[in-house]
Amino acid sequence: MELRIERDVLFPAVNRDEVWEALTDPERLEEWFATEAELDPVPGGEGVFRWGDGEERRATVREAEPEERLVLDWEDGGEVVLELEEVEGGTRLHVTETSPDFAAALELHALAWAPVG
Amino acid sequence: MGPGRVEHVFDALGDPGRRALVASVAERGTATATQLAAALPVTRQAVAKQLAQLADAGLLGATKVGRETRYRVTPEPLAEAAAWLAEVGGQWDERLATLGRSLTRARAER
Repeated sequence: MELRIERDVLFPAVNRDEVWEALTDPERLEEWFATEAELDPVPGGEGVFRWGDGEERRATVREAEPEERLVLDWEDGGEVVLELEEVEGGTRLHVTETSPDFAAALELHALAWAPVG
Repeated sequence: MGPGRVEHVFDALGDPGRRALVASVAERGTATATQLAAALPVTRQAVAKQLAQLADAGLLGATKVGRETRYRVTPEPLAEAAAWLAEVGGQWDERLATLGRSLTRARAER
């Protein structure tokens, strides 16, 4: 079982294609996501992200539907789902990051919520 | 990290009975099924089963003392989960604020 973080942001007066570019173009990713970014935004494509503190994370693209949905699987476990929606006056970005397995606390979570699952 | 987030971690203890057991063990420091059942309107067997589940999940540590198993609370799993939520949640808040500025700048340059 996993933990989950969700964020919802509205970018006013920005079109979906502009946000998609910022999510998938390595040069643009270096403006907001990581210090150094490599990404091949197609299913099966590889991503490598480095940060100033020396951290490096690798990912594989699981889904890439242009201007709609990008799903990355982190090599060290967990995933990131980025979804775009055109709304009146701008674009909405929905981010979901799920954690790697926290065996302990989360098996209990699974236990507690089993009837729903 | 919003106030609701830590709450979510403790939702792991979704069952009120199990939650009460963890609280009782925490209060006593260490406890056996017999001791806990004496203070509750349930059988020793039912308490023992729930304690074993909590121990399997890593929330309680178990030590055999003679014929009884003595339990104590292990805070590590919850602390680890709470730390992940705080760290990754904070990262996204910062990244998304920066992304907003980046989008505004890119648009201005077009």
